[in-house]
Amino acid sequence: MTAAGTHTQPKARAALLSRRHAETAFLLGPALVVLALLFVVPLARLFSLAFIDPAGPFATFGVLAESAVYRQVMWNTFVVAVMVTALCVLLAWPVAYVLSRLEGVWFGIALYGVLFPFWISVLVRTFSWMLLLERNGPINRLLMSAGITEAPLALLFNNVGVLIGMIHILLPYMILPLYGAMVRIDRRLLLASDGLGASLVDTFRRIYLPLCLPGLAGGATFVFLLSLGFFITPALLGGSNAITLSMLIASFVNDRLAWSLAAAGSLALLAIVLVLMGLAARLLPIERGLFAR
Amino acid sequence: MNRLPLLLRIAANAGASLVLAFLVLPILAVVPASFNKASFIYLPPRAWSGVWYERFLADPEWHTSLVNSVEVATLATIIAVVLGTLAAIGLRRIDGRLRMLVTGLFLAPMIVPVIVTAVALYRSALDVGLSGTILGMSLGHAILALPFVVINVGIALRAVDDNWLRAAAGLGASPWRIFRTVTLPNITPGIVGGAIFAFITSFDEVIIAVFMAGYASKTLPVKIWESIRLEFTPVIAVAATVMIALAIILFALAQAFSRQTGSRKTGSPSR
Repeated sequence: MTAAGTHTQPKARAALLSRRHAETAFLLGPALVVLALLFVVPLARLFSLAFIDPAGPFATFGVLAESAVYRQVMWNTFVVAVMVTALCVLLAWPVAYVLSRLEGVWFGIALYGVLFPFWISVLVRTFSWMLLLERNGPINRLLMSAGITEAPLALLFNNVGVLIGMIHILLPYMILPLYGAMVRIDRRLLLASDGLGASLVDTFRRIYLPLCLPGLAGGATFVFLLSLGFFITPALLGGSNAITLSMLIASFVNDRLAWSLAAAGSLALLAIVLVLMGLAARLLPIERGLFAR
Repeated sequence: MNRLPLLLRIAANAGASLVLAFLVLPILAVVPASFNKASFIYLPPRAWSGVWYERFLADPEWHTSLVNSVEVATLATIIAVVLGTLAAIGLRRIDGRLRMLVTGLFLAPMIVPVIVTAVALYRSALDVGLSGTILGMSLGHAILALPFVVINVGIALRAVDDNWLRAAAGLGASPWRIFRTVTLPNITPGIVGGAIFAFITSFDEVIIAVFMAGYASKTLPVKIWESIRLEFTPVIAVAATVMIALAIILFALAQAFSRQTGSRKTGSPSR
């Protein structure tokens, strides 16, 4: 092909090349135009609203940063995201480990257990938790009949409910990358460490954990970033007692028609997500394949 | 470490089983809830009945929302599949920085928090009169679904050897004929997989839909969202069960398809 190309007349070659460029433009063009019109332009137009407030170009950010209420919302969003991430890491560990050791039918069953929830709508899963965590719901009745508590616990419309619901939805995002790291660990390394007289704790700390780290870091980053922008689950399970940044943005739009504040809040949320993503990609030993996938 | 002590192994298995139960079982709570006879949800139901299924089918609002959801998801899937397939093929023809930039743009709707996308789309839809329309919601959902199609088709394209395309071109086939006879048959599983993902993405989507839906264009998730806040009767559990049933059907379809392509791959010329 290249040999033939060098022999072709320059004119014909140029025509062939420009035809190939035209084809590429035809392939990429429609998606790029639609993305520009329906995604990039709407985002840019929304963000511009944050800067055209009559009180000054950065007044909206001042309002968000100075109000004690809004600061509380940001803090709550951050705390919830940290706790969800930490608990997901903890809960993902045994599942990922067992998955990496199972074979055959049991492996299939366990893997479906992790993948099945992905296919069920977040709204349906959140609604399910509303039924289970209710004041007179099955979980409270179970706790009371087991004598663990006298009166029903408040599991709904506070951060407890939000944590349970968000962990339930985000846990698979933690399990899968961790499993991916564990399954690739060469077991002979562990055997060698064992043979050289290292204790179980030493082998874990110095060999197993470092090899799991790329999956762990990737999953944790993913879960943390997704939690920051979560909307449906905190809105339904937390209610007005546990407001997060995304709920605040929605309420600016729907209840107060405060578009400039909604724009500033959206821009802040996106900026935080992008900065953290950039930092994670640079500082953490995340496999590149994770985001490329 | 290669062989954990028995006690630790039992603990790991027990922990994993508990966490898997936590992942799967709570989802199924809505199914018994939908068979409550009472007008409020009690779990497990004290009296069983299918009366709320009749209500769901008889109520024009629920009925319409289901039809709207199917319409929106179908339209969004068509848009996302056509644009995403072309884009995935186009991505293979560029490289270097340009490729990274364009790929980043195609995947951006997955990275930007949906609440931000939803507010931005809602604002622009208000200005151009697309708010409250089926088309407006479909376009928004197509944007969210596009990355799934680009990724799925992109993976399928790895199985297409560039030399086949050169050979076909060398034999004088037109680009359209090459696409139809060489590329397309090889990436069909990726396109179908992407289409199923796109459909379920749109069908389940709540946030954009809640902002964009008008009185007559509510989708099923929007109707569920509103009902949770207004009435909280077992009919919501019926709607949720319908959504679970559809998800299971699509999940099974996707599995069947990936298995079929798995067996076909062994017979493909690339081996």
